[in-house]
Amino acid sequence: MIWMTWRQHRQQVLFVLIGMVAVSALILPTGLRMHDVFTDSGLADCLRRTGDAEFVTVGPGSNDCAELANQFLARFGNLQPLAVLFAVLPLLVGLFLGAPLVAREVELGTHRLVWTQGVSRLRWAMIKFGLIGTGCLAIATAYTLLLSWWIRPLNGANGSRFTVLIFDQQGIVPIGYTLFAVALGIFAGTVSGKVMPAMATTLVGFLAVRLLVAGVARPHFQAQRERKFPVTSQVEPNQLNGDWIIHVGIYNSSGVQVAANQQRSCRPESPSPSPSATPAGPTPEGCEEGLYNLQIYQPGSRFWLFQTIETGIFVALAAVLVILAVYRVRRRIS
Amino acid sequence: MSTVLETTGLGKRYGGTWALRDCTLRLPAGRVAALVGPNGAGKTTLLHLAVGLLRPDAGTVQVLGRTPAADSGLLTRIGFVAQDSPLYPDFTVPDLLKMGQKLNQRWDSEFASARLERLRIPFDRKVGKLSGGQRAQVALALALAKRPEFLLLDEPVASLDPLARREFLQALMGGVADDGTTVLLSSHLVADLERVCDYLIVLQESRVQVLGSVDDLLAEHQVLIGPRRAAAQASPAGVASVIRESHTDKQSTLLVRTNGPILDPAWTTRDLSLEDLVLAYLADPSAGVLPGPSPLGMDLTS
Repeated sequence: MIWMTWRQHRQQVLFVLIGMVAVSALILPTGLRMHDVFTDSGLADCLRRTGDAEFVTVGPGSNDCAELANQFLARFGNLQPLAVLFAVLPLLVGLFLGAPLVAREVELGTHRLVWTQGVSRLRWAMIKFGLIGTGCLAIATAYTLLLSWWIRPLNGANGSRFTVLIFDQQGIVPIGYTLFAVALGIFAGTVSGKVMPAMATTLVGFLAVRLLVAGVARPHFQAQRERKFPVTSQVEPNQLNGDWIIHVGIYNSSGVQVAANQQRSCRPESPSPSPSATPAGPTPEGCEEGLYNLQIYQPGSRFWLFQTIETGIFVALAAVLVILAVYRVRRRIS
Repeated sequence: MSTVLETTGLGKRYGGTWALRDCTLRLPAGRVAALVGPNGAGKTTLLHLAVGLLRPDAGTVQVLGRTPAADSGLLTRIGFVAQDSPLYPDFTVPDLLKMGQKLNQRWDSEFASARLERLRIPFDRKVGKLSGGQRAQVALALALAKRPEFLLLDEPVASLDPLARREFLQALMGGVADDGTTVLLSSHLVADLERVCDYLIVLQESRVQVLGSVDDLLAEHQVLIGPRRAAAQASPAGVASVIRESHTDKQSTLLVRTNGPILDPAWTTRDLSLEDLVLAYLADPSAGVLPGPSPLGMDLTS
């Protein structure tokens, strides 16, 4: 069975290797350059100094990290869509390795050849799914390691690795997505028995579950936290401390929202000898006493907890789909 | 005589439709049996039940004394060629032979490759590039390489041209003659199988209609030609039932099943071909013939 699996999938192995080389050719040079600039520009050191402090002082010289980060993003921000592109890699694995696995056998009728040899269908399914699953695990591990390394400077410059789509490209979640995509492909193949419908089902199912988990479930894996700070303040939140800001808004003293999805920061009329300080006068509009910013967020320290929870969800879904696929192979296909 | 295939009240349902129903039959060892019936009669379903690809919804099926779907060890003792001889199109013949070796405990690779060499099947081409006849031969060689005790073939010659049909059946008979392998092969045309089979199972509308050895069936059935007779007139002595009759102004032709010699001098008797016999039964779903004294000889014509 092992030889059989190799013989049937050696071409796909070749394609995967070519794909990995292509991705590496894209990732390694850009990644090396980003890492160099990240260190040389002093952004790395600056971020290390600031750490994950919740608030930073407003004012010249106190916020140089943000300045450096902006410079870094100005140079490399156009690489960020690449990371989004990599979000489809697990899907590709599910479409091209998972969906045809059983569907192609049934489409060609070869399941009747191979399932009437001296190997039980259970054994066939276990070895085939096991080997393909292991292969996909290896692929996913390789590219998540590569991507996690590549994206690290962008994490720093963006201030968070927790935001949607960035979170999804690193750590261990790509492994969960990949296993889920493959299992979904295999299961869809056992239901449709045709490659194209199985691929279509995989595409739709994968995107639906991913959006649902990322958009609806993930913000609530743990109780969200609130952070309030006055519009007029000497300090503002450290935007680079890795928190995942889920909602921001401006509220008045009685707790009524006056502006959604906005934050405002007014310099206090302080005696600080700031050259940019406006001369004393009437309070500028929007900076009235009592107005405060509200942030609803997940702290950056929960990153790995969230990674584990999300990976767990997808691995569990994959396990259920594989069990159903084995059942269908044994009982439902003839 | 031992039994290779035995079904009792076997049924398989797809949704609300029975593809096979109340199928009770017994296939003795050493026979080459033709499973004949129109398209959709349940032939493929019966074969799939026998090789364990399907599980019955009613009744039981036993192959070599074991239950196919529950007993994967049985798979090493039977050979099966599915309809259209499915093969992995990107495999070469040596790949397929290696596959057989890896997946079967009992495997005679040399036997199979010697057969295919004799048939001049190219070994260096992917089987997807071979002709239909060559593919069928490869599929047969793979099934025979298991040295099966029971070989089942689903419409093996349906897609072949007449010459390839003949060659395939020759190869089949050559391949099973020495081992005394029991063979069950299905076809919607009995003419294809007439030359090779010595046992007949006719399936019609998901039920068994005719079952028995070809020799016995041919001996039992005759064509009678005699003077025109009225429809209600009694049949001559020795006739058990009239399967089909046709009349001209002057004479009547009856296809009958006999239970004794026809001695009435008014009738001339003529033997009939297996094909005529099968067609006569298929034309009349209410008629049926099952083996005489048999523990399973129940009336399936109802």
